[in-house]
Amino acid sequence: MSDTTLKLKRTGMPMPLVIVGSALLVLVCLFPFWWMGLSSIKTLRELYTIPPIWWPSLPTLDNYRTVLFESNIPRYFLNSVVISVGSTALALILAIFASYGFARFDFKGKPALQSFVLIGQLLPTAAIIVPLFITLRVLGLVNSYWGLILVYMIITLPLSVWMLTSYFRAIPVELEEAAIIDGASRIGVLFRITLPLSVPGLVSVLVYAFVTTWNEFIFALCFATDSSVKTLPIGLAEFSTEFNTDWGAVMAASMVMTLPIAILFLSMQRLFVGGMTAGATKG
Amino acid sequence: MHRKSTGYLFVLPALLVLGMLIAYPVAYTGLLSVTDNQGNLVGLDNFRAILGARATPTAFFNTLWWVVGSIVFQVVLGVLTAILLNQKFRGRAIVRSVTLIPWVVPGIVAATTWAWMLHTEFGIINYMLTAPGVLEEPVGWLTNGSTVLPVMIAINVWKMFPFVAIMVLAGLQSISNDLYEAARIDGASFWEEVWYVMLPQVRPVIVAVTLLLVIWALNHITIIYAITRGGPANRTLITPIQIFRTAFESVQFNQAAALSVMFFAVAITVVFFYIRTTAGNAGASK
Repeated sequence: MSDTTLKLKRTGMPMPLVIVGSALLVLVCLFPFWWMGLSSIKTLRELYTIPPIWWPSLPTLDNYRTVLFESNIPRYFLNSVVISVGSTALALILAIFASYGFARFDFKGKPALQSFVLIGQLLPTAAIIVPLFITLRVLGLVNSYWGLILVYMIITLPLSVWMLTSYFRAIPVELEEAAIIDGASRIGVLFRITLPLSVPGLVSVLVYAFVTTWNEFIFALCFATDSSVKTLPIGLAEFSTEFNTDWGAVMAASMVMTLPIAILFLSMQRLFVGGMTAGATKG
Repeated sequence: MHRKSTGYLFVLPALLVLGMLIAYPVAYTGLLSVTDNQGNLVGLDNFRAILGARATPTAFFNTLWWVVGSIVFQVVLGVLTAILLNQKFRGRAIVRSVTLIPWVVPGIVAATTWAWMLHTEFGIINYMLTAPGVLEEPVGWLTNGSTVLPVMIAINVWKMFPFVAIMVLAGLQSISNDLYEAARIDGASFWEEVWYVMLPQVRPVIVAVTLLLVIWALNHITIIYAITRGGPANRTLITPIQIFRTAFESVQFNQAAALSVMFFAVAITVVFFYIRTTAGNAGASK
């Protein structure tokens, strides 16, 4: 404190507090997953004992066998992959064009249209389930891949447009102008100059859209009632709401469902978090 | 020049899709709410019927508790976590990644895992509380009417506080070093820095995130629906679940639409404040 003239003392949180806080944080965030993984390799007898067993004496893969070979989960996994990949791709394509339009052109009604897109993100989904269901029924899209892929645009498209618009804006216009003077078309500029420069933005949109659709529950519950299109979240809910819940299998199914997301997210985390926070704090 | 029309061409496909999926259903909900299932105009009958239902006021107050309870704890824990993660210490990168995990996992996975941990007989939580004698006997967390809503709120807080943490952390990282130096010259302690430098600087972020959380709390029915479906005895029935059940279990599309309209009005008010607030922050981003 006294020698501030030479060098300011770096104040910070007291070290013991940092250690206790971090330990607590990690415990609270990870314990459920640890318990999930542990429960998924326990035998039936070890699952239902008091006191609970911390480490199974006979680890087993039976629960995974049940999930992978005796249930609909593999089929639902495939459905989830098709629907998530499809809606992510569609959202990305639509968002690229829309964001480019918003970032590079001035036209009448642009602020209003941008607010409309933003409102889409904030809309209470429960309030539009009924009319969406009727709309999809009229179009014959209930219980089809396309129905869910389209409906997921509501959740993924607005934030994707928002994130990409701020990314495109950050790219110097001069680069594009130079290319246009050289005779490139608008589309050529977009694909050859703007997109290669915004790979981090594109990746964050990709991860965001994929994770959101992979995890989505309510729309899938309403619009996919046939097992040929049901997604993983619905499959998991079916597992656990039957009268006699097989908790070992439920935990194994949870692991199967969590792993792809965890891997995708942790590998792309830096890019993704950067994109998210940039979009949200800068507007 | 034709620059202007080119702009429209770029944004048109996305707007068409969103229009079809948002504008049309919203308008259609309005129409459904004032007609019967034959399509005849019935005025406000649907509103009267749904407002007269016993579940409606219950759901309203449950929703209020759910939103307020979730948000208070999400924001407080999120901000504390952000301050912690803004410190310099070894292993910080790992702790940051781990913190994000609850937010990334599917809501349904969080719901089932917590339901298993809260199992009355074999759940680890009852064991951890009864073994050292904190509780005398196991609690039926999910079947007892007085614990079930707080437990749902706790799970929701666990799921969403990481989001608050990363957003606030991003805000903390953008605070200019000059402010800290000025505070240190004045001899500020760490906690004074938190109170007089960090919190005022990230206030706009906290406000924006809070409003976003309100909207998400109104939207997120996965946790409650997957664990209790609104039970026991409507103790966890919140309005979005009531809409869902009115529409798909009682097949009263028109009453569900009437309830949606009222729900929508509340949500859009929040959205309005959100846009006004963030527009104030974002400023010159045109």
